[in-house]
Amino acid sequence: MRRWLDRAFLVGTGGCAVLALTVLLGILAAVVWRGAGAVSWEFLTDGMRQVGASGGIFYNVIGTGILLATALLVSAPLAVGLALTLGVYVRNSRRRNRLVMMLYLLNGVPSILIGLFGFVIFGVLLGWGKSWLAGGILLGFMILPTVAVALFERIQALPANTTEAAAGLGLSESQIIWSVILPQSLSGWLSGSLLGLARAAGETAPIMFTATIFAGATWPQGIRESPVLSLPYHIFVLAQDSFDPAASVRVWGAALILLFLVFSLSLLALPLRLRLHEESRHD
Amino acid sequence: MNPGRQAIVSLAACLIGLAVLSPCARLEGQVLKVNGSTTVNLPAAEAAEILRSEKGMQIQIDTLGGSSGGISMLGDGRVEVGMTSKPVSDGDRAHYPQVDFHPVSIGEDAVALIVSRDVWDGGVHSLTAEQMRGIYEGRITNWNEVGGPALRIAFFNKEPGRGTWEVFAHWLYGNSKEAPQVSFAEVGGNEETRNKVASTRGALSQLSSSWVDGNRVYALAIQSFDGELIEPLPENIVSGKYPMSRPLFVVTNGPARGPAAVFIEFLLSPRGQELVRKHGYLSLAQLQSS
Amino acid sequence: MLNCNLLEPDEKIVRKLRSVEYPPVAHPGAKVSVVDDPVSINFPLPTRAGNWSWTRLVSLGFTALAGLFLLAMIGVFLWESLPVWRQFGFDYILGTKWFFRQHEFGILPMIYGTVMVSALAILLAVPLGVGAAVFTAEILPSRWRGLVKVAVELLAGVPSVVYGLLGILFLRDWIYRLLTPFDPLSGDTLLTAGILLAVMVLPTIITLSDDAIRGVPVLQRHAARGLGLTRFETVTGLIFPQAWRGIFASILLALGRAMGETVAVFLVIGRRDNVLPENWYSLRPLLEAGQTLTSKLGGSETFIARADPLHWAAIVGLGLVLMGLVVGITWGGAWLMGREEGPDAPVA
Repeated sequence: MRRWLDRAFLVGTGGCAVLALTVLLGILAAVVWRGAGAVSWEFLTDGMRQVGASGGIFYNVIGTGILLATALLVSAPLAVGLALTLGVYVRNSRRRNRLVMMLYLLNGVPSILIGLFGFVIFGVLLGWGKSWLAGGILLGFMILPTVAVALFERIQALPANTTEAAAGLGLSESQIIWSVILPQSLSGWLSGSLLGLARAAGETAPIMFTATIFAGATWPQGIRESPVLSLPYHIFVLAQDSFDPAASVRVWGAALILLFLVFSLSLLALPLRLRLHEESRHD
Repeated sequence: MNPGRQAIVSLAACLIGLAVLSPCARLEGQVLKVNGSTTVNLPAAEAAEILRSEKGMQIQIDTLGGSSGGISMLGDGRVEVGMTSKPVSDGDRAHYPQVDFHPVSIGEDAVALIVSRDVWDGGVHSLTAEQMRGIYEGRITNWNEVGGPALRIAFFNKEPGRGTWEVFAHWLYGNSKEAPQVSFAEVGGNEETRNKVASTRGALSQLSSSWVDGNRVYALAIQSFDGELIEPLPENIVSGKYPMSRPLFVVTNGPARGPAAVFIEFLLSPRGQELVRKHGYLSLAQLQSS
Repeated sequence: MLNCNLLEPDEKIVRKLRSVEYPPVAHPGAKVSVVDDPVSINFPLPTRAGNWSWTRLVSLGFTALAGLFLLAMIGVFLWESLPVWRQFGFDYILGTKWFFRQHEFGILPMIYGTVMVSALAILLAVPLGVGAAVFTAEILPSRWRGLVKVAVELLAGVPSVVYGLLGILFLRDWIYRLLTPFDPLSGDTLLTAGILLAVMVLPTIITLSDDAIRGVPVLQRHAARGLGLTRFETVTGLIFPQAWRGIFASILLALGRAMGETVAVFLVIGRRDNVLPENWYSLRPLLEAGQTLTSKLGGSETFIARADPLHWAAIVGLGLVLMGLVVGITWGGAWLMGREEGPDAPVA
């Protein structure tokens, strides 16, 4: 009886794992299969023509890049501040838990609400209309919990002796932070940022009201009324409105490029994270 | 001061400065912003492409919220040109009293009632206005009540704000405000509509006639009171016999000036009108010839 | 050097206390496991009271800014939706009809849609995801495990618009064909959206549950196997009692994500207003098109509504309600999991 139960358990969980992986890899295969035909050098270096039926996605990639770079710049100082507050300044565990709770809530806010909020603040109140900066700031706040927690984790995992040695040298608190703690935990910030950006790259909802349009934008000039194109919004629009069969092939090409971008960002973060794991496992 | 700390402080200062200065950093240059109907978008977007490459103009086109989105964003001053596939209504003018809506017609399009292949093959090739009202109000739910196969009707309603829906409601009820309260599954974009109708048994929806391919989706004729079948063909649209046709507009606040004027002039020029025809709409010349 | 050696034993003890065999990863949701960590290290920094350096000031300022962002969001939603609360009060939430042209704004059908779709997603994804996590954590050889884990974490990042594209072109047709005996009106159903969401949250559940299960010390496993327990007994008797909080946290995170997901749901749900079941237990609406809070927010009405203050208030109100639901789940989960360890326990 026990043997049978154990065997059923093995088969059951194994089946779950196989089914889950099959579904997920099937998704990947479908995108590659449908999209590979559309991707070419011209597709990557040419702007969109004929409402997506010909030409490429150059400015969509550029636009997504601009949004991500802005998000990175916005989230970095905020994340450093948050991680230092959590890891160094706040000593009271109850207070720290409250802060972590705040990050957890921020992380849980649906991205469409970030978009709606951004529309009210930047689009209406500040009168920016659609602006790359608004989108970048919103995406920056969206990934803030991911980046801050990764950095905080790394700060927490720093061996106490290095800071103690620095303190022994008579360095002040700020000096220790800037010369010991932050340089040593750079990898935490980097891996957190890469993972955050991987998530931000594919988001449609926060930017569709605030930062991105379907056609016509190139490089942003100024801030007000200065939208960019983007990959996810391009796919979202063409999924509903591709007049030409040629456009529906190209939308899969765009999806493939977006997937490639997202996977590259996560894969870049991988070695950093594995190293982090190794270190904390072996000392 | 430590360089790292300096960096963080100056970055923060930059961000704050950016936020404060941004209203001044406004670019009053040649960027032309256009928004509105996905139907008008097709020729307009291509015209914009040509103007971009030939004259180096900067034209940004989007299709948020369809025709109503075009009018509201023009009303809010967030775009210079609105695209609509329905006339600007008195209600719109009342909402934006400070805006002098200036519509320019660039062509005409018909809204077709489209059905899936099984309905077409089942013998339904036309509907009367009364039958369509019955379907819309939920009194008719099966195709066999209008001479078709025994199959429930899967009606996809165009989402609110779309010019297509406005034209449809105008045909059945005289005014879109008079249309009864209904809740059907909604469709937005034209390809979404075509795709969903093509893949659903017993499907019916409204779609711009230029998107009808006669292969996956079929356009029904409209049966008039005297029993005449009127198909959404160019001659019937031009003559005004087909009841669900609509002018396509680009709208500006006051007479168009600057880049907006260039854009609209191009749409009215022979090359622009060729784009209108290319996407299956009737050009102004075709309309005048009748 | 001498100093370091002297310090080492202490540090090792601290490390032991806080080490988990597979440390938490830093992806969205990692904080679940981070805050599970009961021991926190305070750096022995030479802090004097009243020592307000620039670094400290800016750090605390940025922390306040992040909090302000959250508060401002709630504040803006509350303020902008005020007209609709004034006019309808709780009838806004309990009302069953939404006809914006007639100024009828009742959002119960959309709340129903959101709850049904995300509940369905969780119901489908949890057994599959936890089962797969048990397999990767307990049974799969570690060489394979790393590979599977990387693959799953990559797939957690597939953008929702790509899922939407797959949904619109494949899933809705499959569902439609599969459900032919029930004769659904079309392939756009709450069921379609639920299944799509289940696939979307699956990687989150697998990878975080796997972390939680691996968090149980290896030695205990060896001991259990040494006592002659089967793998099944080890998992149910030893692993689950210790890992359930982490697993539960992963489920809550997945639920929050499912509730807030917009574009994928938007593309396959059919966006049909005013769908409620005849009896509360009727599942028929699952086979019909419906509407969720997010699919309404992502739709064309958000743009039209700007022209009409009451309509706009009703649209923003959807955001407020959605925010309330998600915050409620997050808080409820934190309370539930914090309860066991007394008032000072870390939240998760």
